[in-house]
Amino acid sequence: MTWWPFIASQWAWLFLLLVPLVIFYFLKLKRPRLDIPSLALWRSVLNDQRVNSPFQRFKRNLLLLLQILLLLCLVLAAMQPFYPSGADRAKYLPVLIDTSASMAAVDTEGKSRLDEAKQEVRRLIDNLLPDQRLCLISVASSARQMTDFTDNQRVLRDALEQLQVSQVGSRLEDALRMTQALARTVPIETAVLYTDGNVPPDIDFELPFQLNYQKLELAGRNIGITALNARRSGERWDVFVRIEGTKSPPGVEELPFSAAVVLLSNGNELGNELISLTPGQSQRIVFPVETEGARRLEVRLKPQGFDSLETDNVAWLDLPAGRPLAVYCPVELESFRHALGGLKDVLLYPSDEGEAKAASYDLVISDRKTDIDLDAETFLFVGVLPDDLTKLVRIDESVAQVIDWQRNTPLLQHVLLTDVQIADRPVSAEGVRDRDYEELGYEILVQGRTGPLVLRKDGGGRALYYMLFHTDRSTLPFRVGFPILVSNAVQIAQQQAGLLEIVGRQTGVLPPQHLQPEKEYDVVAPDKNVSRVRSAVDGTLSGVGAPVIGRYSIRDGNTELASIGVSLLTVGETSLATVDQLQFRELKVGAAAAMLKSDRPLWPWFAGVGFVLLLVEWWYFQKRPGGLLVR
Amino acid sequence: MDLLNTQARFTSLLENDVLARLERMRLLPRRRLTNRSRGEHHAAKGGTSTEFADYRDYVPGDDVRNVDWNIFARLERPYVKLYRHEEEMHVVSIVDGSSSMQFEGKFERAKQLAAAFGLMGLMNVERVSVFSCNHVGKEPVFLPPCTGRISRKRLFDFLEKIEGGGDFPVEQAVEAVLRRHRGRGIVVLLSDFLTFGDLERPLNRLFSAGLEVFAVQILCPSEINPEVTGDIRLVDCESGRSVDVSSAGDLLGIYEEHRLALEEELGILCRQRSGRFLSISSRDPLDWVLFDLLRRKGWVR
Repeated sequence: MTWWPFIASQWAWLFLLLVPLVIFYFLKLKRPRLDIPSLALWRSVLNDQRVNSPFQRFKRNLLLLLQILLLLCLVLAAMQPFYPSGADRAKYLPVLIDTSASMAAVDTEGKSRLDEAKQEVRRLIDNLLPDQRLCLISVASSARQMTDFTDNQRVLRDALEQLQVSQVGSRLEDALRMTQALARTVPIETAVLYTDGNVPPDIDFELPFQLNYQKLELAGRNIGITALNARRSGERWDVFVRIEGTKSPPGVEELPFSAAVVLLSNGNELGNELISLTPGQSQRIVFPVETEGARRLEVRLKPQGFDSLETDNVAWLDLPAGRPLAVYCPVELESFRHALGGLKDVLLYPSDEGEAKAASYDLVISDRKTDIDLDAETFLFVGVLPDDLTKLVRIDESVAQVIDWQRNTPLLQHVLLTDVQIADRPVSAEGVRDRDYEELGYEILVQGRTGPLVLRKDGGGRALYYMLFHTDRSTLPFRVGFPILVSNAVQIAQQQAGLLEIVGRQTGVLPPQHLQPEKEYDVVAPDKNVSRVRSAVDGTLSGVGAPVIGRYSIRDGNTELASIGVSLLTVGETSLATVDQLQFRELKVGAAAAMLKSDRPLWPWFAGVGFVLLLVEWWYFQKRPGGLLVR
Repeated sequence: MDLLNTQARFTSLLENDVLARLERMRLLPRRRLTNRSRGEHHAAKGGTSTEFADYRDYVPGDDVRNVDWNIFARLERPYVKLYRHEEEMHVVSIVDGSSSMQFEGKFERAKQLAAAFGLMGLMNVERVSVFSCNHVGKEPVFLPPCTGRISRKRLFDFLEKIEGGGDFPVEQAVEAVLRRHRGRGIVVLLSDFLTFGDLERPLNRLFSAGLEVFAVQILCPSEINPEVTGDIRLVDCESGRSVDVSSAGDLLGIYEEHRLALEEELGILCRQRSGRFLSISSRDPLDWVLFDLLRRKGWVR
C-alpha cells in the first residue's frame, strides 16, 4: 500500500500558482470602479454587515477561497490521485478469463459466470490508472490473447464484450505459458485469473509470477450428458448414455434431478426414458439400436426444473452401417489366413473363391513392404523392416528372445510371448537407444535382447504394426496366443474402422478426415461460420477447431463429404465442480477470499468538483440581484 | 411644431399645462406660521378681515363696534364677533445643488419641484425665496424674497440658471440658509439627504425659526435599486473617497433595509417638528408627484 497516492506527482509544482493567485487577488487588479452619489448608505451597510455577519471575513474573501479551492482541485486532478485498494499495484496486469463451457452456467437470476467475470473485469478497466496496462487473455482449452497490454479502456471494453463461452473444457497451462511469454517483454509480477473454479486442479506449469485466483460464485445446479458411445453387440448397437448431476452444496440437501432422455435417429425418436438422479451421482442408460444402415443419433436431455447449463443437454453420435471387416492377407501367410478364417464378420482377400482384391481394406496383414500402398487403416507387417529404421536396426539370422512386452497394448492383450523362439534377430545399431525409435514415431511393443521385435507407428490416420521377425521363422504360430494376436489385430481394425465401438466426439478439434491431398475444403460450423481448410500431402484434414457443439459439415463445393456431430461430453464441465486450490509443480495457489480490489482513480472527482466550484463562483458573483422593491 | 411649443413654453422647467394647474393649487401647511405683513394667508390669531371666524364673550375694553347687536337684542348679552386675520407666509425652497444630486435627473427634479412650490406660493401672494447650495465655504446662491404673480418669471429664470456640483452637505446648507433668511412659513427641503452629518440640528433650527419643514428626498433609480454584483470599488462623487465591496449582490438586501430605515428616520425627524417628509424617485412622473402624490399626502390642495 502506498502512502503517496498520486501517479503524476511531478505536477505538484502547480501548487506554486497559489502565490500569484493570492497576490493578484489582493492587488485587486480587476475590481471595477463605480461612481455613486454618496457612500453614506454603503458605509452603514458595510458596518452593519461586519457587525451582523460572523462569516463576513469569509464572505469578503469568498472569491479568493473559491479560486484557491478551484486551483487545488485542478492541481490535484493533474496529479492523478487514486484511492489505494490496499493491494500491491501492478503496472502490467494480465487478466485471464475462463471462457470454458462451465462459464455459461447461469444462476437462478439468469446471470452466467462469464457475465459475472466480465462485470469484475469491467470494474478493473474502469478503475484503470494511467500508468497501468491490462492484457485480456481468454482461457478455454487453449488460450487466446484478446488485447495487448494497453490502457485504452475502449479497446479493453470492446475486447471484453467480444468474449464468448467456448463449449470446451478448461485448460490453464496454455494461458499461463502465454503469460510467461508476455513476461519476457514486460515485467509481470501478478496475473489475475477469473474463473468459476471448474478447472483441473493439477497444472503442469511452474509459476514464474504470482497468480491471483479469483473464484466466482457458484452457479445453480446442473444435469447433463457426460458420455455417449455405442458398442457393437452382434446384430445391434448398444448405445450408452451417461447422465450426471452436480453435487449438492455442503450442508444442503437438494431434491433429486428429474429429466427425460430422448434418443433420436435421423430425426425420428427411437427411445425415451425418464430418469431420477441423486445430486452428485451418475446414471447410465442403454438404448439398443439396429445395425442396418448408417445412423445419425442425437440424444436430448430434457431436465425438469432449473438447469444451469444447456450445452450439455444434447449429444450426437454417428453410427456407420454394419458390415464385415475387409482383411487383406497374402496366401503365403497361411498361418494368419488360417487364424482369420475362424473369425466372424471377416471378409478375407484374396478370397478362397478367387476374388483377388477389393478397393479398400480395413486390415492388411502382409510380409511385403510394398503393400503399404494399399488403401487401409490398419496394417500388420510381418518380417518387414521399415525403410526409416534401416539405419537403426539390422536383422541377423540368429535366434532372438523376447525380453519384455507391453501386455496392455491392444495388439498383445492376453498374448503370452514367453519362450517364443524367433529365428530372425533384430539388432540395434551401436549406440541406438529406445529414444531414437521414439523420435521416429515408433513405439516398441515387444523388446528383444538385442533390439525391438514388434513396433507400432501411427501416421496419416493409419495404425502400422511391424513385426521385425517373420512368424514363419518363429514358434509363435504354434502358440495359443497367436490366434488371440490375430483376433486383437482384427479388433483394432474394427475399432479403427468404427465397426466395433463408436465414441461420441467432444468439442475442441474435429477428428482427422482422410480426403484428397492438398485440396481446400469448406468446414461449416453449427453457427453457420464457414472456414476453409487445406488437406495435408497425405490427404489428412486435421486440426479443425470445433469450439461449438453441433454438427460440422465438411464440404467440397456443394457436396457434403462428412458430417460430424460434436458434443460437450465432459464430466468436469457438467459437474460444475470447483477447486479451491490449484496445484502447480512446486506450489499451491488458493482462491482469493475476496474479489480483487483495484486502485480507484480520483482525478475525475477532483475535476468534477473543480467544475462545480467554477459554476458556483460564476453563479454566485454574476447572479442578478433579486427580491428588491422596484419603484 | 415642437420648436413652436418650446418657444411658447413659459419656462423650460415645467410644461405650460402643468403651470396652469399649479396656479390653481395652494400649499397646506399644518402650522399657521405667518409674518406681520399683510397677505392672503389666514393667520392663526384673530384679525380684521371680512371673514367671520367665531364669537366670544365681551370683556370690558373691547371695541364696542365689534359687538354683534343682533345677538345682544336676542339674548341680552354682549358677544364680540371675531374675524380671521390674513397675513403673509414665507415659502423658502432650499435646493441641494451638490454633486450627489447630479445623478440621473435628481437636480432637475429638485428644480422642478422648487419651481412648483414657488409658483404655488407666488400665486397665493406669499413671499417666495429660493436657495441653492453647492460648495462648502461659499454662500448659497439665492433668490431674494419676492411675491406676486409678477415674480414668476424671476423665479423661473433663477431656477433655470442655477448649476449643480459641489460638496455642500445638506445639514450645513440649512445652517447657511438660516444665516440669511428671515421670516416664518414653510421651508421646502429638496435633497437626497445622503449625508454623513446629523440632520437633527438643522431641522431643530428650522423649527425654531418658525419654518414648517416640507422635506422631499429625491433618489435616483440606481440608489433605490442598485444593480451591483461581485467585487466592486464604490467611489463617492463628492469626496472622492472609495470603499471596496465584495460580493455586492449579497449586500443589496441590507442596503434596501438601510435605505428604508433612512426614510423612516427622516420621516420621524420631520413629524416630530410638525414637518412632513416624502421620498420620491427622480424617474417618477412629475404629474403624478405634483397632482396625485402631494394631494394625497395633504401637502397641497
